[in-house]
Amino acid sequence: MSIDLDLYQDIVLEHKRAPRNFGALPGATHQAEGTNPQCGDQISVALKIEQDRITEVRFQGQGCAICMASTSMMTEAIRGAQTSAARQLQARFRGVLTGTEEADEAYLGKLISLAGVARYPNRIKCALLGWHALGHALQSPLASNAASQGATS
Amino acid sequence: MNARPPLSEAPVLAQHAALRAQFPILKQPINGQPLVYLDNAATTQMPLAVLDAVRQFETHDRANIHRGVHTLSQRATDAFEQARTTLKRFVGAGSDHELVFTSGTTDALNLVAQGLSQGQDGRAAVIGPGDEIIVSGLEHHANLVPWQQAAWRSGATLRILLPDAQGRLHEDALARLLTPRCRIFALTACSNASGERPPYETLLAQARQAGALTVLDAAQAVGHSAMQLDTLACDFMAFSAHKMYGPMGMGALVGRRAALERLTPLRFGGDMVQSVSFERAVFAQLPARLEGGTPNVGGAVGMAAAAAFIESIGHHALESHLADLREHAAWGLRRIEGVTVLSAQTSASAIVSFVAQGAHPHDIGTLLDARGIAVRSGHHCAQPLLDHLGTGPTTRASLAVYNTHEEVEQLLTGVTQAIEVLR
Repeated sequence: MSIDLDLYQDIVLEHKRAPRNFGALPGATHQAEGTNPQCGDQISVALKIEQDRITEVRFQGQGCAICMASTSMMTEAIRGAQTSAARQLQARFRGVLTGTEEADEAYLGKLISLAGVARYPNRIKCALLGWHALGHALQSPLASNAASQGATS
Repeated sequence: MNARPPLSEAPVLAQHAALRAQFPILKQPINGQPLVYLDNAATTQMPLAVLDAVRQFETHDRANIHRGVHTLSQRATDAFEQARTTLKRFVGAGSDHELVFTSGTTDALNLVAQGLSQGQDGRAAVIGPGDEIIVSGLEHHANLVPWQQAAWRSGATLRILLPDAQGRLHEDALARLLTPRCRIFALTACSNASGERPPYETLLAQARQAGALTVLDAAQAVGHSAMQLDTLACDFMAFSAHKMYGPMGMGALVGRRAALERLTPLRFGGDMVQSVSFERAVFAQLPARLEGGTPNVGGAVGMAAAAAFIESIGHHALESHLADLREHAAWGLRRIEGVTVLSAQTSASAIVSFVAQGAHPHDIGTLLDARGIAVRSGHHCAQPLLDHLGTGPTTRASLAVYNTHEEVEQLLTGVTQAIEVLR
């Protein structure tokens, strides 16, 4: 398969050029960053979690096409989801890229377009950078919201 | 846009196909395309002459060196010491220089930085509290992090000789940093990240004049430039075999004998001692005192064979071939819209590093690999420099004797098409 079809599919490039849910998130309750030490790419993911549901998600930072597209599609997939469902999707997507899980289009949706990254081991980190930041963000309530977070959980 | 500058007729080009055939690894397809290997600043490939020398040693002369009275031990010792002599001559060392084998440039620079910042047997370390260490802003992490640690260990202050916006180092900037408390000045002979070749001869002389010990990271220079250590104001010079067509895991620290004697040994054990009792040991003379344990003898043999390979081509022919290729690559890359070449005008460099608007180096690197072209993407272990220049990560193509103008053209086509895909 050619690399254009395999790795740089149109939908991936389209998300790279116009990332969704990109920017600051006023009123975020959770936030964390991920860094790829190889290239210094940095992605920050901010969440608004209300009663265990992710009502808003935005990301900022810079990265390669794979990283930006993966994070952009991630925000679409988890917006409105329960935090447990977001964690589950994160584990599943990671499993698909590291080859421990089957790529199931019905479950992954658009993210299936990134399944080919599994064949490029040195790019898996790029595709997972935003997801690592998400994993940390889910566990990182912002101090200013800690009290209200305590009240809802 | 101007036509490409004319290429000089370097003698190396005349027998280029035969020369290329000496590198068996190059004759393979990568992702269905002929391999175009442009990652030589990370590691160069080995010619048959080097592979054969290592094989000859390992199959005929291999034994542990020094103190053996049997024939093979004597042959191995001779091969090891002959390699030392060859390499000293190769870098222009004089009679008051000595060469210590290490595992590479990183090992050699750590030996200097730690050896000068640790005391020994009640003797104070060379670097002490309140002293100053100056490191250039062009350095690979291997010539920065050991000095950060040395400063921390000894209570010294680390100062950085920052490059200008084009990535160049200047004597007046160094003059402003040098004080009577400066003990060390550490500098690269060529930046692995930008390809910048600083005026290290004058900068080292300036630092020595101010009383500092001088350290030169020559890893990116010895593969093509004729180093003249005896004419340099250089106390310590580090280099690696695998960036000069030799084996991996092998390198050297060469320097003024008097300066090397100031290093506290870091590896204690066999071969580095003169006499040992249960209570204490007397260390051997140089170079043995800094070479504890069984060395990589086959590596030393291969490294010397690599030096002989470079000399068989000739430094002049090599430098002009690489300068032509770099000029070709830098010229072609700058013609691509949105591409900026770092240190575009530097000379005597085999590295061309660039950034492209809207196209990340990792994506460019992956798309080039799909065409069989090997380049490196990222920070190249020089994150502070790329942060300072404001470029962020770059794509780096680095050239060697076996590369051709056709390969440079393939790089240019590949980069153009990668950018088209990504923008």
